[in-house]
Amino acid sequence: MTSDTSVPASASTISDVAPEIAPIVLDLEGNASTEATPEAPAEGLQERDLQVRLKSEGGKLLLMLPPEMETEAENPASSLTWSEVLQQLKQRLNAGERLWLADTSVHLIARDRLLDGRQLQAIADALTDAQLRLTRVYTSRRQTAVAAATTGYSVEQQSSIAQLNPSGESAQAMEEPLYLQTTLRSGGDVRHDGTVIILGDLNPGSSVVATGDILIWGRLRGTAHAGAKGNAQCLIMALQMEPNQIRIADFVARAPENPPAQHYPEVAYVAPQGTIRIARALEFSRAQAVGDRK
Amino acid sequence: MSRVIVVTSGKGGVGKTTTTANLGMALAKRGRKVIVIDADFGLRNLDLLLGLENRVVYTAVDVLAGQCRLEQALVKDKRYPTLMLLPAAQNRTKDAVKPDQMKQLVNALTKAFNYVLVDCPAGIEMGFQNAIVAAKEALIVTTPEIAAVRDADRVIGLLEANNIKQVRLIINRLRPAMVQANDMMSVADVQEILAIPLIGVVPDDERVIVSTNKGEPLVLSEIPSLAGTAFDNIARRLEGETVEFMDLSVPNDGLLTRLRKMFSTKLF
Ligand SMILES: Nc1ncnc2c1ncn2[C@@H]1O[C@H](COP(=O)(O)OP(=O)(O)OP(=O)(O)O)[C@@H](O)[C@H]1O
Ligand SMILES: [Mg+2]
Repeated sequence: MTSDTSVPASASTISDVAPEIAPIVLDLEGNASTEATPEAPAEGLQERDLQVRLKSEGGKLLLMLPPEMETEAENPASSLTWSEVLQQLKQRLNAGERLWLADTSVHLIARDRLLDGRQLQAIADALTDAQLRLTRVYTSRRQTAVAAATTGYSVEQQSSIAQLNPSGESAQAMEEPLYLQTTLRSGGDVRHDGTVIILGDLNPGSSVVATGDILIWGRLRGTAHAGAKGNAQCLIMALQMEPNQIRIADFVARAPENPPAQHYPEVAYVAPQGTIRIARALEFSRAQAVGDRK
Repeated sequence: MSRVIVVTSGKGGVGKTTTTANLGMALAKRGRKVIVIDADFGLRNLDLLLGLENRVVYTAVDVLAGQCRLEQALVKDKRYPTLMLLPAAQNRTKDAVKPDQMKQLVNALTKAFNYVLVDCPAGIEMGFQNAIVAAKEALIVTTPEIAAVRDADRVIGLLEANNIKQVRLIINRLRPAMVQANDMMSVADVQEILAIPLIGVVPDDERVIVSTNKGEPLVLSEIPSLAGTAFDNIARRLEGETVEFMDLSVPNDGLLTRLRKMFSTKLF
């Protein structure tokens, strides 16, 4: 914090570009005042937010399925259903094409998810379509182990969930950035404990939630939530910033009703007075060089 | 005491969401406290039609997953604050919610509102079950087409089986000229098959599409339109008023005269 003053200064130049990012106020009873503190999800990513993950490690790929909540049967709202998991896997495979070599072997980390033979086959088929090979299955469920062995994969059954849950103790350190080359369409939903980089557009109705920064090399027209664990220093960057809504830490802003006629690469950040501002990327980096926001 | 009304059809794309948005707005205009619930998980539209998309922070699924309180998920309308929206999740599927959970949600809302309108997804699967579970009344939307009417008939049967007795019919996208030329089923043709009380006939009107794209339900428009008036009339009939049905027959004179006639003879 060398110089606080340069930030408001840059913010006021910015406000000519995108002045009308209105804070959202949720309030059932009273007349919502625009000044009230917006209430956004700040509890960050939790166990139930985990998605299908692909991670290279030592020349192979680890495919990690989100854990199955015990409550799924009674409350499907709390975790992904099998068809949602499979769909997410396919989308991730499509979006990561350039990140791995053909014929790489994949270790499936199924944790406590119950998988039958047909489901394992579906995963294997999806991997084959992406020119990857399922070779080994890690599971803590006996039935899954049996199914995997029957289908012909080598199996490692592990009893301790902690062992099977590599992201379990990563509460402090974030994951490495998630890089996706894809157009995220309506309903598409990416959550990541770290920074997310998307080479492509975010269409309206899609959302990205990251505990780090969000970089969209394309048009941002969906919802983006950076610093989802509460870090208000996090940034959202896009070549074209036309979001439905953006959130940084626990601040929320919605897009102006009348979008600007012309678009420049822009950066969204939380200004010292506690509102989300949007600045042209060039001016922002200049201000940052002088003022050193961090 | 609040009324829980599901807007349903069986067939997709016949105008359920358009109807829900317009009725919700029309009832709010009359000072009623209205909550519209988007039960179309995974393909939500109601927020768009109401122009509230960018205000959605939480959804019904977040409430059920315990990630927020119910009142945090409600979005207040920017024009009529007695109208609120409970949005559906766009990133999940219909299986993310179970009927008894939906029932819980709706029941929690009945205390605070005069009307609970539930926008049902197309189909008769889980999404349909979720949408109707808490409803005491239903509005069946159909277009005057054989397939839509057939599906509506199936749905009426399902509603009866689920003990929803108060079921009324909305015929949407009627084109009087086509009816007159015998190219489209008439109101009477549809009624003959479905045999449930009619609560409204909405003409096909391109201004519906314009208003949809703007996120401003047609009943808000200053300029009167046949479709907008038709939705207003349905709201009034829901409220128990007796409103004569509009004369949609094709007159020789132009639209303006038709409108004037309508306003002088039917509305006032
Ligand atoms: N009276 C009308 N005149 C002209 N267009 C209409 C009318 N009613 C509905 N439409 C148009 O028909 C389309 C479908 O309407 P809507 O989304 O309300 O249907 P739906 O039954 O909710 O569809 P779904 O089953 O997909 O949920 C929209 O483009 C809408 O603008
Ligand atoms: Mg609809």
